[in-house]
Amino acid sequence: MNRFALPTVLAAVAGIVLAGAGCSLKPQRSEARAAEPKYVFPHAPHVEGEVACVACHAGIADAKKLEAGVRHVQLPKTPSKDDRCSGCHDTDVSVEVPARSDPFRIRIDHQQHLAQVKDCRTCHQKLPEVGDARAPAPPMATCTSCHTHQADFNAAKCTPCHVDLKGYVPQTAFTHAGNWTKVHGSMARPTAESCAACHDQTSCAECHASQVTAARPSVIFPEAVDKGFIHRGDYVSRHIIDARADPASCRSCHGSAFCYACHTEQGVTSSAVNVRDPHPVGWATDTGPNGHGAAARRDILSCAGCHDNGASSTCVACHQMGGVGGNPHPRAFLKRHADEDPTREPMCSACHTFAP
Amino acid sequence: MIRQTLLLAAVAALLAAPAVRADTVEASSTTLLLLGQEPRYRGGSKPELVTVAPVFEILTITARDIENGFSDDLRIVLSTWGAIDLAERRWDAGTNGGRLSGDVTTGYVQAKFLERRLTLRAGRSMIATGVARMMQLDGGHAVVVVPISRAQLSVSGYAGVPTSQRFQTRDGVKSWNPVGGTLAYGGRVAVGLPIPGIAGRGLELGTSANVVTDGDETVREEVGADFRLQPFKRSNLTLAGFGTFSLPERRLAEVSGAVTVSATSKLHVTADARHVEPSLLLSRNSILSVFTTSVWTEVGGGVTYDLGRGLSTGVDLHVRAEPGADGSGSELGSDARARVSWESGPTKAGLELFNLDAYANGYFGTRVWARRTLGKAFVTGDVLGTLFRDDVNGQGESITGTLTAGYQLPLGFTAVLSGSAGMTPYLEQNYDLMAKLAYNQTYRTAEVR
Repeated sequence: MNRFALPTVLAAVAGIVLAGAGCSLKPQRSEARAAEPKYVFPHAPHVEGEVACVACHAGIADAKKLEAGVRHVQLPKTPSKDDRCSGCHDTDVSVEVPARSDPFRIRIDHQQHLAQVKDCRTCHQKLPEVGDARAPAPPMATCTSCHTHQADFNAAKCTPCHVDLKGYVPQTAFTHAGNWTKVHGSMARPTAESCAACHDQTSCAECHASQVTAARPSVIFPEAVDKGFIHRGDYVSRHIIDARADPASCRSCHGSAFCYACHTEQGVTSSAVNVRDPHPVGWATDTGPNGHGAAARRDILSCAGCHDNGASSTCVACHQMGGVGGNPHPRAFLKRHADEDPTREPMCSACHTFAP
Repeated sequence: MIRQTLLLAAVAALLAAPAVRADTVEASSTTLLLLGQEPRYRGGSKPELVTVAPVFEILTITARDIENGFSDDLRIVLSTWGAIDLAERRWDAGTNGGRLSGDVTTGYVQAKFLERRLTLRAGRSMIATGVARMMQLDGGHAVVVVPISRAQLSVSGYAGVPTSQRFQTRDGVKSWNPVGGTLAYGGRVAVGLPIPGIAGRGLELGTSANVVTDGDETVREEVGADFRLQPFKRSNLTLAGFGTFSLPERRLAEVSGAVTVSATSKLHVTADARHVEPSLLLSRNSILSVFTTSVWTEVGGGVTYDLGRGLSTGVDLHVRAEPGADGSGSELGSDARARVSWESGPTKAGLELFNLDAYANGYFGTRVWARRTLGKAFVTGDVLGTLFRDDVNGQGESITGTLTAGYQLPLGFTAVLSGSAGMTPYLEQNYDLMAKLAYNQTYRTAEVR
């Protein structure tokens, strides 16, 4: 397959997927949610009057699942003549309960729960009143008062109870507060599967997969001015300072060849077609603190941005055994590798020759 | 390439088949035209400026909870892009030449089995846990969770090829992946000890190993350990730590730890420390890996405070011990940041100050940004200026500004126009323009069961 075939295939796949989704599924739009009618039924006086919930929500006791558009509400048509209502209602009240289509965010079997819990108020501690846009969802504490969820949480088993966790804000564990960008890696490393309960890997890849992204996030999303993108603005001028101040930070996302690709275009690698030497005069021969040896000892990753060519690195020309460069290894190197067989290490043979 | 093509065909077949339905499908499409300048050196005394004008099409589709007869929460995730350079090739188009480029940023199929205790993932994904350190690979990943009394044992394993740019060479010398190579495999064993209380309370202890090879040469051989502890019943105080040991070099490559806590509902505190040997992040088949043992150590923390009325502020300070001029000894440096942000109705604004004082150089910078929503329209502004301690390319300062305007169109589309300009050490004057048409939509079916 030639190199243009894959993008073509991807575009075709995307077209098929979008077309298929558009034909069979209904999009959930913010406008649709906003258009949901407000509640019209005063729950508070009925709770105070100790009217049984099932007087109006008769079907809920048999509901094995929640369904969008199905609310299990059936108000008595003539309250003044209904024994459950006539104690308060002298005349018939006409309340038109509007239809609702908002999807539920949790999955629950009311039939199973009501058989054991009995009292609806155990979970539904707050009810919607007239004018409310939404019914308050029972807090998760009502679930955990019976269900032990620590194990499920650690295993990231949020579904099937939660449809998904999109839009929820972590409150207890993993609170994304403070300088979350700085510490999120440390927090995620032991429990990445928990992160995956909310975040698909597309979210991680925008920043962490620099080798395959289209462009850096601050270029694709210039309107996201409140996001903590680290490569904003004229980052190319700052990158050399950041790289020398904390080289490991760059290396967590960028390999040497990534740096090399740009440095070659700028003519600062030894293999560029037109080469300009970025090093000061005397760089190669100065054995003091201003020479290349001291710089390499201090920060080898900066060297790697242009000179990381495996065994064929430019360093080998001078530093191979018998070469003018001398022994480049730090003191601890030979001690650490003294008991190894150098003939079995391909990198050793780049500079060392061994008797057969 | 064959494997990737088969994966894409499977994705297409699954999503297009009328019998398959997903509870949630998120789709986004972004068409992006950039127009700007990049420096190129073609000989002579200084680089010349060339005009680049790439057009991107970026597609992301995520389908979750796909109904099927063999697994739970079958999930298909695909994020991909293609681009054509209308003028000069931009530098990150790849390394093969040519005006067309494209890649798969993320693409995997994931399913859960055995009452969701076994998770299998295949495709292009990242390995985030343990010593794999967010390595992206084309391969497979399995996680199984086994309950043992009140604890749980988690065992995971992965194998694949470290992802390379634009489907090009994967060897360690030419791959843009920081762990380039032709094969990677490893795994993690962890014990989770949940403690009754708020969700997430407990201890997680893990140990992991990661091996990457480049042909018959070793790129990495590491073992590591990690933990996460949330000890208190009512506090979100969380401690996490990580350490990794290089087997070929027999020394610690990295040790890090972090603490976070919400002291009050308005005050959040973080502290972190890291000790790292950057040379151990080089491939072991790089000759550069045998030249140094220099170490970097960083300690610091941050505080954010909600001042009320939409105003919040934060300060971070990290002190860094860097190697001295010849790689031995240590020099102290610091990295400090302060920010204030404000939000009121349709308006957001922020001010950031940052100062880096490092051995080699340093800078002080300021950034001011704002966003205003006007019905379905929005405008944003962003100015960033930097003063360098020592000149960069003979210049002591840099300033760039960006103005962006957008409008929410019907059917989930958004149109965005953006322009930026500046004076920088590498470009006496520069400009960039961008036009973007973005589509973001979430589709749901069978909303609730």
